[in-house]
Amino acid sequence: MLNRDTLGALIFLAFFTAYAVFAWQIPLLPFEEMDAVNSASIPKVYAVLGLMFSLLALLAQAIKRQHSSGDGWPQINRRSIGQTAVLLLLMWVYTALLEPIGFLLATSVFLSAGFFIMGERRWRVLLLASVPVAVVFWLIVTKLLGIYLVPGELWS
Amino acid sequence: MLDGILLGLSTALQWQNLLYVIAGCFVGTFIGMLPGLGPITAIALMIPITYSIDPSSGMILMAGVYYGAIFGGSTSSILINAPGVAGTVASSFDGYPLAKQGMAGKALAIAAWASFTGGTIGALLLMLAAPTLAKVSLSFQSADYVALMCLGLTAIAAFSNKGTFLKAMMMTVFGLTLSTVGIDPSSGTERFTFGNTDLLDGISFLLIAMSTFALAEALSNVLKPEVKQSAGEQPMQIGSIRLSKAEVKEISPAIGRSSILGFIIGVLPGAGATIASFMAYAAERNLAPKALQEKFGKGSLRGLAAPESANNAACTGSFVPLLTLGIPGSGTTAIMLGALIAYGIQPGPMLMQDNPDVFWAVIISMYLGNIVLLILNLPLIPYLARVLIMPKAILTMMILFFSLIGVYLVSFNTFDLFMMIGFALVALVLRLLAFPMAPLLLGFILGDMIESNFRRAMMTSDGSLSIFWDKPLTLGIMLLAIVVLAMPLLSFLRLRKAAI
Repeated sequence: MLNRDTLGALIFLAFFTAYAVFAWQIPLLPFEEMDAVNSASIPKVYAVLGLMFSLLALLAQAIKRQHSSGDGWPQINRRSIGQTAVLLLLMWVYTALLEPIGFLLATSVFLSAGFFIMGERRWRVLLLASVPVAVVFWLIVTKLLGIYLVPGELWS
Repeated sequence: MLDGILLGLSTALQWQNLLYVIAGCFVGTFIGMLPGLGPITAIALMIPITYSIDPSSGMILMAGVYYGAIFGGSTSSILINAPGVAGTVASSFDGYPLAKQGMAGKALAIAAWASFTGGTIGALLLMLAAPTLAKVSLSFQSADYVALMCLGLTAIAAFSNKGTFLKAMMMTVFGLTLSTVGIDPSSGTERFTFGNTDLLDGISFLLIAMSTFALAEALSNVLKPEVKQSAGEQPMQIGSIRLSKAEVKEISPAIGRSSILGFIIGVLPGAGATIASFMAYAAERNLAPKALQEKFGKGSLRGLAAPESANNAACTGSFVPLLTLGIPGSGTTAIMLGALIAYGIQPGPMLMQDNPDVFWAVIISMYLGNIVLLILNLPLIPYLARVLIMPKAILTMMILFFSLIGVYLVSFNTFDLFMMIGFALVALVLRLLAFPMAPLLLGFILGDMIESNFRRAMMTSDGSLSIFWDKPLTLGIMLLAIVVLAMPLLSFLRLRKAAI
């Protein structure tokens, strides 16, 4: 089974390989072609360095494995994974709704839904810890700091 | 120098700046106390606020937050044995046993006095070292800067935790690659934008800082709760914060020695507060008489005072390369560099001449920050410690909200928020795989500077790489970077040989 260091090195190897492919495709402007350093030079150096370090990490893992075992994976329960995934999804939905429905409504829904996901079930707490926060923050930003916050494209 | 100190004092003592430093210390202490959240997160959360105030005040606020967060980290180390940051881990070795013996107040007072003294000695040494180094660095050329930045990047990786050198190097290069996204400032060529106009300006540093630290740390705490004290449990009684004469006599020499050691280690790029605190702890244990040595780990006053003074002095020391060379030596100073650049201020040898108010105000505010921590925060610790019983749900959601809205209020572009969520997911996975985050931030912030200085150096040398070994200074720094890079590899090979 893959240990987490090997997996990490493989992820970076894949990333730096893709980066290298794109780095070698950076279109150069005509005046750049004769330059000692052009817009593609530094990305190419980074790509080579990245590939070198990720290959070295894989090699180090191969050598280590001959002498020791153990994968060192952190213990995480399924509930925590689910909560984290739903929180990420909630952030995505909040971002998508922020401009269409406006700051106040989106933030109130985001915070109360977040508290609910985190295990809070008392409706009074859900409302009191979300709506006032959104309103106070909105007042500070718009009235005190004079920053315009979109009221919601759907309503305006 | 006296003029500079007076200028710094006049800026830092303006009533609004005093308020900023006090507010910064409180907010920093509050965030620093939360297990899993450190000074980088605290400062990252402050950046959107600092954009609306002038640079000196912004830096003063951030310096206050920095010191507050370190002090807050010590508080959670002592009270619940859950260090907020790596730099305060050594403080828990003796701080927590003291708290368990009913001397939490005493332990917190020692932490505060040791931090204050460490910070004061650090600030004095910074006042002496920074202007001198700034004058010397005026003679530095582009090639020297490239060499110095390479040294900074390799050093932070080399000083990372045992066995994570290659991981830190991969993260550094990852940060460097992210800095190449957008229009190349020298030629106007688009790089890695994939036709997306939102990427033409590149990725903002605030976005990277918020997603890899604030968001990822909050999510990581949900995924992998490390808090040893369950929510709702009352933190232990604080007790008296008074120290006896004998106790003061016992800790004073340790504080003095550790402060100087901490400052020197802090100046070195990459070393920072964690190494300083562990080294100071180890040094004091070795220096202590046999009878006192046995008390280390069981509630030794010296064992608490040494790492506390060393980590604060190291935090001050880490400002030396930032203010004089424009090169951050740690994740925290990297984030401050990003904030300064966003203000249009380039830290480095010219900072002292071009923006003396910022330069001196930062130094003076560090000292003020330490005074605020001692006079205001210490007596309020029993009340501030209540943050440790704040429900996790509220805390997590507030961090997620402030991170997202903080970035939105700066760019007003929801594409940035989508990208931020993506980076937070990547950072979360990388954290699970035990990759350090600070090298990524450092690589990202130094990426632009390395590229522009490298190009300038190559233009002056007509495209010849010999510019990196022609001058003894450049060659010396380059060789040092190579030695730093080779050290972990050599030790790995030696260990392997021993294993065979």
